[in-house]
Parts: sequence; C-alpha cells; structure tokens
Amino acid sequence: MIGKILIANRGEIAVRIIRACREMGIETVAVYSEADRDALHTQLADEAVCIGPAPSSESYLNMQNIISATLISGADAIHPGFGFLSENSKFAELCEQCNITFIGPKSQVIQSLGNKSEARNTMINAGVPVIPGSKEPIYDAQTGAAAALEIGYPVIVKAALGGGGKGMRVAQTPEEFENSFNTAQKEAQMAFGDNTMYIEHFVQHPRHIEFQILADEHGNVIHLGERDCSIQRNHQKMIEESPSIALTPELREKMGEAAVKAAKAAHYTNAGTIEFLLEKNGNFYFMEMNTRIQVEHPVTEWVTGIDLVKEQIRIADGKELSYKQEDVHITGHAIECRINAENPAKNFRPSPGMITDMYLPGGKGVRIDSAIYSGYTVPPYYDSMLAKLIVHAKNRSEAIRKMRSALGEVIIEGIDTNVDYQYDILNHPDFISGSIDIEFIENMSKDAD
Amino acid sequence: MNLKDMFKKTNTRAHYISLRHSHPEVPTGLLRKCNKCGAAIIAEDVKNGYYICPKCHGYFRVHAYRRIEMIADEGTFEEWDKEMDFVNPLDFKGYEEKIASLKERTHLNEAVVTGKVQINGNPAVVGVCDGRFMMASMGRIVGEKIARAVERATEEKLPVILFTCSGGARMQEGIVSLMQMAKTSAVLKKHSDAGLLYVTVLTDPTTGGVTASFAMLGDIILAEPKALIGFAGPRVIEQTIGQKLPKGFQRSEFLLEHGFVDRIVEREELKDVLAQILKMHSAGSRANALKELIRNGHPGAKAVDDKVSQTEPDASGHQTADPVSAWERVQISRKKDRPVGTDYIHALFTDFMEFHGDRYFKDDHAVVGGIAYFHGVPVTVIVQAKGKTTKENLDRNFSMPSPDGYRKALRLMKQAEKFGRPVICFVDTPGAFCGLEAEERGQGEAIARNLYELSGLKVPVLSIVIGEGGSGGALAMAVADEVWMLENAIYSVLSPEGFASILWKDSKRASEAAEVMKLTAGDLKRLGIIEQVIPEPEDYTEQNMDIVCIDLEDRINGFLEKYTELSVSELTDRRYNRFRKM
Repeated sequence: MIGKILIANRGEIAVRIIRACREMGIETVAVYSEADRDALHTQLADEAVCIGPAPSSESYLNMQNIISATLISGADAIHPGFGFLSENSKFAELCEQCNITFIGPKSQVIQSLGNKSEARNTMINAGVPVIPGSKEPIYDAQTGAAAALEIGYPVIVKAALGGGGKGMRVAQTPEEFENSFNTAQKEAQMAFGDNTMYIEHFVQHPRHIEFQILADEHGNVIHLGERDCSIQRNHQKMIEESPSIALTPELREKMGEAAVKAAKAAHYTNAGTIEFLLEKNGNFYFMEMNTRIQVEHPVTEWVTGIDLVKEQIRIADGKELSYKQEDVHITGHAIECRINAENPAKNFRPSPGMITDMYLPGGKGVRIDSAIYSGYTVPPYYDSMLAKLIVHAKNRSEAIRKMRSALGEVIIEGIDTNVDYQYDILNHPDFISGSIDIEFIENMSKDAD
Repeated sequence: MNLKDMFKKTNTRAHYISLRHSHPEVPTGLLRKCNKCGAAIIAEDVKNGYYICPKCHGYFRVHAYRRIEMIADEGTFEEWDKEMDFVNPLDFKGYEEKIASLKERTHLNEAVVTGKVQINGNPAVVGVCDGRFMMASMGRIVGEKIARAVERATEEKLPVILFTCSGGARMQEGIVSLMQMAKTSAVLKKHSDAGLLYVTVLTDPTTGGVTASFAMLGDIILAEPKALIGFAGPRVIEQTIGQKLPKGFQRSEFLLEHGFVDRIVEREELKDVLAQILKMHSAGSRANALKELIRNGHPGAKAVDDKVSQTEPDASGHQTADPVSAWERVQISRKKDRPVGTDYIHALFTDFMEFHGDRYFKDDHAVVGGIAYFHGVPVTVIVQAKGKTTKENLDRNFSMPSPDGYRKALRLMKQAEKFGRPVICFVDTPGAFCGLEAEERGQGEAIARNLYELSGLKVPVLSIVIGEGGSGGALAMAVADEVWMLENAIYSVLSPEGFASILWKDSKRASEAAEVMKLTAGDLKRLGIIEQVIPEPEDYTEQNMDIVCIDLEDRINGFLEKYTELSVSELTDRRYNRFRKM
C-alpha cells in the first residue's frame, strides 16, 4: 500500500496531487528547484526536497536527483503530474528498476505509444480509425490520383522530407489532384532536392475531441466521456469543455468504444487520454495517446463525479477500478479556462513577476485549481499557466454564463494575464453557438485584425 | 508570507504499516558517480554515450573491448594472440598470483588486446591497452603482442592504430620490461620503412615507457581531450623539483600546444576521424593510383578552361604595359582584406584535416598544415597563415613563422614523402619571426634544414606565393618544382623598407626600393625565378576569390598531371637543376 508519494512536478498540478493525497491520508513529498522555494506546492507538502537549480533540465527533469529525493524521503511512489518527466519512458523504467511505484502506465507502454508510427500501427491493428494515407511513396500524379481516390477526398499531398509547409498541397476534388500533386512535387524538388511524395486524407476544420480512459492492472478499462479542446492557440489548449455538443449519444458510444479498444490494444494501465480529430461528417481519427493526467482533467471530474487523481493512485496501488462503464454518467456541463501569465496584446509574451494583489471567485459550481497566492512571484523559467478556472452547470449555456461571471471576478494584479482574452472568447457568437473547430482562435484573431 | 508553518500536515492513516515486501532502492550498477564532477549519473547513459559523463563531459576510461566496439564496424574484430603464456622473467615473488587474479577479474589475458578490424570499411590492425590490468604497464607479453601485431600488419601491408593507456614499464619484470620499449619501437620502424601508416590515439593516462616508445611514434598522433600524457608522472616531477605544477600540465591540450599531438579528437567523432585518416592513406592514394586518378578525373576541367580565357585580358594587361607600380603592388600584397592561406585551403580542397605541431617544442599557429583532397587525390597542404582580425593575427604572429613552424612544415612534408602525396604550399609571410625565442631555437637552422630537405623531397612540390614572399622565411617553403605567384604578390630578399634602410640608411625610401628590387610577379617571371603568374581581379578579396580559385584549380591540376608522371629521380633532378642554374 502506498503511504507516501513524491510529487515530481510543480505549480497547480503538484498542489492538486498533494490535495488528493491529503484526503487519502497519504503523506506527501514535494520537490522544488531553487527558484521554487516559495512556491505553493513546496509549502503545502508535508516535506519538501530541493532538487537543483532553476532550469528544469537541472531540476524537474533531473531524473537522478528525483530518484535520490524519493529514496531519502522514504516515499514509495512518484506522481509525475503532466509535462516534465510524465511521459518519459526512461524515467518510468528507472522507477521500476528502483522498486518505486510510478503512478502512470508501464515504461514499455509509454515508449511504444510515444513512437508515432508504432502507435499508429497498434491502432490500425486494433481497428481504431487513423487518418488514411498512402502506404508507399508516390512519384507521379497518375499513381497518386489512384491512391487519392482510395483514401478519399479531400487529400493533402506531402513531401516525404517536408517541413514548414513546403511541398504541401490540398486537393479538394479529383479534378484538382494532378495540378496540386505536380505543384507540391515541384516545390519539394526545389526545396529538398527530393520528389518523394505521400498522400493523406485531409481532415478539414476538425474538432479536437479527446476521451478520458481509466484502466486498472486487472484488465478493466472504462472511458469517462469526452472533452472538446478545439479552442487552442498554436496547439496550446485554452478552453476545454465536457461534454462536446458535437457528439450525439451514438457517436459518443462509438468513439468511447474506440478509445477503450485503443487502450486495450496498447495494454494501457492508469489514466490516459486518446486524442481524436473529429470531422463535421462524424468521421473521427486517432491522433495520439497521452499517457498521463491532463491539464483539463477537472472538466471530466465534474461531469462524472470521479476524482481522477485518486483513481490514479488507487490503480497504481494495484486496486481494481471502483467504477464500471455503466456507473459512468455524464451530468451537466463543465468548462475550463486556463489562466496564464501572458500578454495577449504582445503576442502572448510571458509575463512573470510578483502578484501584488489578487482575488479569485468562488460560489456554487466554481472551482479554482491554482498555485498562486498574494505576494507570490511567478518565476520566468517555467510554463506560464497560473490557474485553471472550472465551472459546472446544468447545461452549456448556463455554464458559459457562469464562466463569464466567474472570469469577471478574477483579479490578478502585478502581472499581465489572459483573463480578458478568455472573456472575449466566452462572448464570441461562434463559441456561444458551439460552431467551433481547431482554427477558431486563428480565425478570431484574423477578424480582430 | 510563510505558509508552510500555517498549513496543517496530512492527517495520515492512524496505524499505517507498509504492506510492501520490499522498499525502494537503487539496484547496484544502475547509477554511478562521475569521478570528475561527482554527479550521480545513470550507468546506461554513460555506456550508450561513449563513456562520457553527460553532466560535465568528463571522459571515463574505457575497457579494451568496449573501445574496439566503439570504433570497429560491427562483427569485424578478429582478435590475435588472445592466449599468451605467463612469463615471470625475474621470478618475482607473488607476480604469478597477481596476474592470475587479474585475469579472473578482468577476463583479459594481458593489458593489451590486439587484432584486425574494419573502420567504416577500412581495414586496420589495432592494439588497445586496458588500464584495469596492472595499469596497462608494459611487460614482456604486452610488448610481444604489440610486436606480433605490428609485424603481421607489415606482412599484410596494413595500417596500425594503437590506443595507448599505461602506467609505463612493469616493475615486476624489471629490465625485461625496459627492453619492450626498444622492441616495440623496432617493429614500428620496420612497419614505417615499408611505407605503412601508424596512428596512435593517446588516452588517459599515457605515461612512462609507453610514452617513450610506441605512443610517440605515430605518423599521426591523436589524443582524447584532457588525457594525462607524459614521461615522468606529475607527482614524481613535483617531488623532484619541489615545485607545484601548473594546471593543465601534461594534459592533451598542453601536448598539442607543445607540438606533440596532431589533433585532439572527441570520442564521438573518433571513429569517423580514424576512418577518414585510413581512407586518405589507403592504397588508392599511393603514387601509382594517384597518377591514375589525375589522368582519369578532373571534373569540370573544361568549364575551367572557359573561365580562364575570360580572365586572360587581365593577365596580358599585366604582361605588356604595367600600369601598377611595384610599390603599389607591395601595398596590395599587404592589404588586410586580401584572401589568406586558410581561405585557399577551403576554396581549393575538400576534407582538410589539420595536423599540429613540430614534435619538438611547439605548435606554431603561423603555419597551418594537414592533409586534404584535391579532386579526390590526397595531398599535403601547408600555408603560411595571416589572420583576418587583430586577435587572429596575434595568435598567428602576423604569419611570421618561428622555427617550430618550419619544423612542422618539414615534418608534414616528410610525412607526404612517406605516403607519396604531392605537397602544395601557399606562401604569405613578411618574413621569418625575428625574436629572442626564434634565435634560441635556431631560426637559421630551421630554414636551412627545410631548403636542404625540400631539394630532395621525393614527391612533387608546388609553392604559390599569394601575398608577401618575405625572404628566407618564404623560401623555406618554396624550394619547389614550380613556384607561382599571384599577380599582386611580391617575393624578395628583404622587405623594401629593410632594403632601403640597409642600402640607403633610410627606410622611408621603401617605394623607390620596391621599383629597383624586382619583386613583382612579372619581374620574377622575366628573371626565371617563378613559372607562372596568376591573374587577379581588381580589389581582390575573399568575396571574389572564386575566379582566381577556378583558374588555380585548373593550373594545379595541370601541375599534378605533369609532375606525378615523372619518376622520383627525374623529379628530384629537375628540382635540383631548377635551383642549380640560378
């Protein structure tokens, strides 16, 4: 049985994990860098060990020091949180070798899911849909056209050595294909000196839909519904919600089944997330599996009533899942906004510094996961996320109203934040109507220009 | 606000007793400590990372078989003389037991492993010392294994690479151990006389009798960074002289600076560097093969011809009316933005590998030399190197070579002779360095020795004066089969300033002196001192040196074609007569 956990992370997620441990009566050990002496996680844990200088490469990514801290403090498990070492199979392996319980999947599983082509093949074999594409390299338009027809339009032609958008062309229809292919190939030849091409189905205006799964070490796998994370900027998620209004109950069941199949095929254990791209026509494609707890896990917690971090610890302790699939019910609607120390007017430039004053909202259906306090100095070395504001209400429109109200109460003085930017999104007609895709932020800033 | 003291601690489960059967612990061998920076590092990382500390980049010592794995193509190592009978020439008490226990512990038969490998497809004989076995001291078996390996290499016409690491002679074997120094040196002499390549890689630590024998005899001596290399150990020296030794004393970098190491090579690139050296010295690069290469292939020669004809007007302009005065040419030859020796190395040659040091005292940065390919043919290139910035000029002593520079050049020329490589020199010096240390180390002797040795060097030698050709300092690299000059280069017995001050007691009359000295390319061609004048564009800088280099490339091609056809006696006779008639 796990009696003491070392949290190999910082910020709000470290605090989140410490809170779960406190509830479960498990002692906690925080690790911190020299820049994080005053951080909330350092102070809230029962013990804290300094593991190195400010740069993460020398502290939060320093495997040897974290293992040493675990042994010295007598912890029997490590929770890696997200980011840092959470998806590092070598670190997980190191924990296994040192007889330390790594709260997450086995190192082997992390490794094979981290390998893009291996993961893709696993999914194909398990019958989970992936973005269809040509298996062999293609050198001429004629062969390409035949392959494109099989793959299904629209298609994207990509240079094998491609990058930076060069040697890439979309063909919406078979008529356009030859032209697109030749242009892309010419570009590829010019840019990379190579005319090897691949063809892939082009997923147009997709939503980012991900499924939370839980899997224990006894072969039980369940999914906890989806999260819609289409509101993202440069692949950084900004707002997440559950459930997604784009999913009918039938589609949810179908995608959930695929997610469970995917997890089973990968021999997955602990909490994980399957990311899909969802097309308007209801087709969905596996993108990747995240082998850790996610930033946006609270929205799932709220609509299912399941504490994901506690479940992670129980699973790592070898216990069976406390829930079966039929016990999982989605109730109401939850939205999460990430509050970052950044200045949207200055291209989202990070804004570290001291928080001179602050006030955070509360009340029914409002949850704040944060690691800040008045007088805290946000260090410049790490991710700029300060807090997550999560609301829960009967339905989506009530949740949006609640989020607007809560955002309106957030006061953080001394540094710049993206609160007003989030507020604008919540008032955007497309967001309100729910007609969003992963290009939402890009389009919104285009409109603003 | 100190929240730590205000938060309540976790309310733990009342009577928590761990049910786990075992507690977390680091299994033996998973982590190791870097003996340089003290950091705990993952053993696996060290093993997969060339045995280099990922934190401080310090080098761990490498076991012989691991070393071979690191440089050999997979599965190509064929070990020789694996089992050797124990010898105890002095009947030294306890020696046999010690060796027996070491054999058991290290799974080695003795302190050196020898055999044959392929390195990126290039065959070579290797010998690798292993410090775990009595600090790789050299006793009879070590000497014997090396001697046998080198002899077999001589027989099979293979190059030899020895990785040294040793405490020196093996005390337990006394005088017999001392004799191994002579024995290994003797077999290497035979190997060298057969025209074969010997490369040493000095690793930490290489000391005593091994340094004073096979370690220092390589045609090319490479070293790993920061390795301790010396004859007497630092502790012994300190005790003897009663002084503290400076930091970095007897380390690879110190030896490089003092001219005993050709190049320091990081472990990651060692295999590729060795492979390149082997390739450049493979049979294909020998004199005969060389002729073949030149005859068959100089790609782009046709295109070059066209280019040359375009530049012809420049040359003819120079030949007829001479609008540029000699003094102006002196000034052009000294211009700061004029291309320097190292620019020509990069423009005309590929895969240049610089070799350092004279093997006596110093590596003189005023001379840069090494091996490179010219149109796929290995050649030795030596330049007198001016710098491009003041800082670089200070480092290169404004291209005024010290005796060490000339000795380095001569060493590389003799090396070229051994391996049948043509020598191409680029001359650009105000003159040999004039200073106290230069005289102390025999500036005059060094120059004289070069004139003497170059006159009979058995490979083609081409010298091109690209800027200033200052007196004996220039001639020491210009006793060649042909000497060419760039249009605005100068070549003279003395600087015009010096000439004016000696003859007229007035260095201000330098411009006048320049006119009467006959130091321009055109004058020297008319005097029969040089063979060719290479036209230059106006305002000649690194930016427009292409046009000159395309021309030079074609001319060098022609030179090699002509001179590699000659027999050794024809070649040396010709060179002899070239100077005999002057």
